[in-house]
Amino acid sequence: MTVILGYAATILIFFFTYNIFTLGLNIQFGYAGILNFTVITFMAVGGYVSAVLVMPHADTANGIYYILGLGLPWPIAALGGVLASGLLGLLIGQIALRRLRSDYLAIVTLATGTLLYGLAGNVTSMFDGWQGLFNVPQPFAGFRNWTPLGYSIFFVIMAGIIFGLLWLFANRLYKSPLGRVMRAVRDDQDVVEAFGKNTFRIRMTAMVIGCMYIGVGGVLTIAYITALSPAGWTTGETFVVWAALLVGGRANNLGAVVGSFLVAVVFNESTRYLPQMPSHPNLIPDIRYILIGLAVILTIWFRPQGVIPERKNTFYEVPLGKDVNAKPGQTSLEADLAKVGE
Amino acid sequence: MTVTDTELVRQGSDRTTEYALQVSDLRKSFGGVAAVNGATFGIEKGTITGLIGPNGAGKSTVVNLISGSITPDSGSVKLNGEDITGLEPHEIGRKGLIRTFQISREYPEMTVLENLIVSAKDNPGEKLFNVMFRPKLGKRRDAELVQKALETLLTFGLYPLRNEYAANLSGGQKRLLELSRAVMAEPTVLLLDEPMAGVNPALIEKLGEHIVELNQKFGTTFVLVEHNLEIVEKICSEVVVVALGATLAVGTMAELRKNKAVVDAYLGGDVHERVGS
Repeated sequence: MTVILGYAATILIFFFTYNIFTLGLNIQFGYAGILNFTVITFMAVGGYVSAVLVMPHADTANGIYYILGLGLPWPIAALGGVLASGLLGLLIGQIALRRLRSDYLAIVTLATGTLLYGLAGNVTSMFDGWQGLFNVPQPFAGFRNWTPLGYSIFFVIMAGIIFGLLWLFANRLYKSPLGRVMRAVRDDQDVVEAFGKNTFRIRMTAMVIGCMYIGVGGVLTIAYITALSPAGWTTGETFVVWAALLVGGRANNLGAVVGSFLVAVVFNESTRYLPQMPSHPNLIPDIRYILIGLAVILTIWFRPQGVIPERKNTFYEVPLGKDVNAKPGQTSLEADLAKVGE
Repeated sequence: MTVTDTELVRQGSDRTTEYALQVSDLRKSFGGVAAVNGATFGIEKGTITGLIGPNGAGKSTVVNLISGSITPDSGSVKLNGEDITGLEPHEIGRKGLIRTFQISREYPEMTVLENLIVSAKDNPGEKLFNVMFRPKLGKRRDAELVQKALETLLTFGLYPLRNEYAANLSGGQKRLLELSRAVMAEPTVLLLDEPMAGVNPALIEKLGEHIVELNQKFGTTFVLVEHNLEIVEKICSEVVVVALGATLAVGTMAELRKNKAVVDAYLGGDVHERVGS
C-alpha cells in the first residue's frame, strides 16, 4: 500500500510540474503566439539556480564544483530560481522579440537552448558539468521527522497549491485586457501595432511570465528529485511540453492540463510497464517518443484545435433593445444585415 | 484648360488651412529603386481626401512611411502639426493616426466583439500591474467598451454577428469590421488602404456612407487610398494623385480630369471605363 501511495504521489507531483510547464508555454504560445522552442532550458535554469542557492558550498575536495552554494532557505532559493528563469527570458526576448517573428524566433530560441546546454555541460565550474547537481536539500525536509511517504504527500500538497495559484493567475491573465491584447498580437501583430499598442512590450510580458512559470516547474522538479544533470533536460523534453499543449488545446488552460495528463502522465507511465529488452536499452524511451509524436500527428490531423479547444469569449451585455429599433430608417436588424449583402 | 502642377500642389500655399497631415518631400529607395521620390501634400483637417495613382506609383509605400511601418530616407511627416517622422508605428497610432491594410486583417480567432474591444486605446487592464493588483480597473473599462462596441456594431450592421469568430465573416463584412474597429480607437486621422478592394458595388456605397457619417459625426480626417474612382469622386473633397513616387497633382476629381498629366499617367481617357481596374 505504501509503495502504491508513494508511486501515486510521485505521479501527481510529476503531473503538477508538467501542468506548470504547459501553462507557461500556453501563456507564451497560446496567448501571445511566441514560438519558444527551448522550454526545457528555462526549467533547467530555474532548477539549477534554486539548487545552488539552497545547497552549501561546493565540496571541491571531492571534485564537485558549482557556483554560489549559499545555503539559503528554500523559499528564497526557489524565488531566486524563478527570477533567474524570468531574467533569461528577458535576455532572449531582447534579442528575439524585437525584430523576429514566428519561425525565426523559434530558431533563435532553439539555438540559445542548445548553446546553454553545451555551456552547462562543458563549463564544469558552473553546475558541475555533465555530472550535474545531486544531493540537493529537499524543502522543509528538516521541518519534522517525515516518513518517506509522509514527505511525498506533503510535497504533493505543496506542488498542488503552487499549481493552483499559477492556474488562477493564468486564467485571470487570459480574461484580462492584457490577455486579450496578447491574443490579438498572436492573431496579427502589425494591426495591434497600428492601433497604438507596443507589441514588443506585450510579447515580452508574455515571454517573461511564461519563463517564470516554467522556472517554477524546474524549481519543483529539482526539489523533489534532488538532482539534475544535462541528460535530464535534452532538447526532446521541450517537445514533450509542446506535444502536451498541442494535444490538449492551445489558448485553453484546461486543455493544457488535459494535454499534460495525456502526454506526460499516461504515455510516460504506460510505457514504463512495457517489458525491457536488455539488448535494446533505448527501446522504451524511443517508443515513448514515437507514441507522443503519433498523438501530435493524430491531433493535428483530426482535431487541430486540440482535445479542449480555445473557448469563445462572450461578454455581459446591457441590452441595447431600445436602440435597436430606435434608429431612424432602420426598421430591423435583418434589414440592415440584408444591406450588408453576401 | 490646363492647370500647372504648382497651382495644383497646394501644400505650402498661403491659404490659412489647418493640416491634419503634412507630407513634405518624402523619399524612400529600396535597393536603388526610388519607390517614393519627393511626395509632398497636405491633408486638411476634417476632410475626406483620396490618394490615387497607378499601380506601382508608391501609394502603399507612402502609407507605410506615414504610419511608421518603414522609415523614410528623407523628408518629413507631420500629424496635426507635430513631427512624427521616424516614430514607431505604435507611437504614431497612439498619437491618433490609425491605418488599415490593403487586405482585411481581422483578428481571426477572436470574436467580432473582441476585435472591437481590443482596439480601444488606454485600457488600464492592459498593464500587468493592474492585472495582478487592480483587476477591477480593467473589468470596469471592459464593461464600458462592450457597450460602446455594441452600439458601433449596431451602426455598422454587424450586431447579430458580434459573437461570431472574425475569420467566419464574409469579405464585405470584414471590411465593415475593420472600419468599426477603427472607430473604437477614436482616431483623429484614419488612413484607409484600399478599403473597397474586393467589395461588391452595393457595399461600396454603404462603406462610403459610413465614412461620410463618421467624418461628419466625429470630425475624423480620412485619407483613402483607392482605385475605385467613382466612390472617390463621390465622397472625397480633394484628391492627391501620386505617380512615380511623387505628387503629380492635387484637386477635385473634376479638376483632375482636365489635367493632361493626370490623364496620361492614370486616368487614361474616360474615367468610368477604368473604374475598378
